[in-house]
Amino acid sequence: MKIEIQYNTAHSLATVHLEAGEAIRAEAAAMVSMTENIDVSTTAGHGAGGGLFGGLKRAALGGESFFQNLFRAVSSGAHVSLAPRLCGSMLVHDLQQGEELLIQGSSYVAAPDSVQLNTKFQGFKGFISGESLFFLKASGQGPVLLNAFGALQEVQLDGELIVDTGHLVAFTEGVQYKVTKASAGWVGAFLSGEGLVLRLEGRGKVYLQSRNPQEFGQSVGRLLPARKA
Amino acid sequence: MNTIIEHGPSFAWLRAKLQPGEEIQAEAGAMVSMEPQVEISTHLNSGKKSGIFSIIWTFLVAVSRKFLGGETVFVNRFTSSTSGEVILAPKLSGQIMARSLRPNAGLLVQAGSYLASSGQVDTKLRFGGLRTLFGGEGLVLLHCEGEGDLFLNAYGGITEIPINGEFTIDTGHIVAFDDALDFQVKGIGGLKSLFFSGEGLVCNFKGQGNVYIQSRNLSALIGWLSPLLPR
Repeated sequence: MKIEIQYNTAHSLATVHLEAGEAIRAEAAAMVSMTENIDVSTTAGHGAGGGLFGGLKRAALGGESFFQNLFRAVSSGAHVSLAPRLCGSMLVHDLQQGEELLIQGSSYVAAPDSVQLNTKFQGFKGFISGESLFFLKASGQGPVLLNAFGALQEVQLDGELIVDTGHLVAFTEGVQYKVTKASAGWVGAFLSGEGLVLRLEGRGKVYLQSRNPQEFGQSVGRLLPARKA
Repeated sequence: MNTIIEHGPSFAWLRAKLQPGEEIQAEAGAMVSMEPQVEISTHLNSGKKSGIFSIIWTFLVAVSRKFLGGETVFVNRFTSSTSGEVILAPKLSGQIMARSLRPNAGLLVQAGSYLASSGQVDTKLRFGGLRTLFGGEGLVLLHCEGEGDLFLNAYGGITEIPINGEFTIDTGHIVAFDDALDFQVKGIGGLKSLFFSGEGLVCNFKGQGNVYIQSRNLSALIGWLSPLLPR
């Protein structure tokens, strides 16, 4: 399997080249085009996330689609191209055996079945922030295709970093996090527009996106005509 | 202070490395990430040396903008006890530009285009006149004065236009302009063109100075999206 990414930063497109028998599982609606020698099956997370319940849990908590499409090559020379919903970059994180990657739900695009996906329950600290703080936990081995709203920045963390939740894409398991407020006082934290932030600590890789989908949605959304009840 | 603009022109962000004693002020909500030694404090955007009237005025503007829709009127100031980095990003897709300011040569910035400033730059909200509230393209301006660096964000790319004489720009495409320029907001042509030209309001500039424009218009995006929404 080879994944090729074109058109970064603004309008990226990923083309997954598959040998006979190889398969990739992608978010529903991510498919742009594919060769005719590919079998498509739609599942609620079988294999990659453990049955119906796994799919439900991922969709409800992980902010990711309930259905996933499995693209399997019947013969060699197959390829399928994938695109996310928003403008921005994509990248491939090569997951190694024994390593874990925590992914913000909407940043996940695709992975082969050798990668297992689970929703990692974050306890109650996830609820306070108002932003979805349920991460998808990818484990196993293989390429994981991620997308970002805007540019993707890889940070090699060794120490501490404070990150706005809306700008976080993914991080490796060696990084611990705490939900805290951006400034010392509660009034400041509320007025600062930063609300709650993540304090990342440890050693590992952190991926950031240069735009916050929620903030973009709100700036455009408040100008749109009101929805009739 | 060391500042770098990365990932432009589509999705630019600003990376600012602060030395002890240095400060960068940014639009509320702009922070992407910061090192743990960086401290953040929140202020009403009424100017640093403002009196009580200016604070009340800003507060009133704040309340009205809350209802009319608009940017927050709070700003965050970032400082660092030891050298520390903060990354700032705007809300919309587009470019960021840096512009240094000299005393007595201020810049009027469309309120949504202000990202950050450093040094002795003072920022004050100012309405561009009642007229500007029409047509959903309210030209709410931020007067930036003093000495220091100003970082502006745009929806799309930024073009600098030197004006010597007269020039007309769609209000939705204005990022900022020198305060030495005279400006007047009006409809293009007569009443007929106001409704049918698709241009809405334009701003007519006179004098000598620079205008910075953006290659996309948020009102145009809204106008395109709105009819597509489910009723």
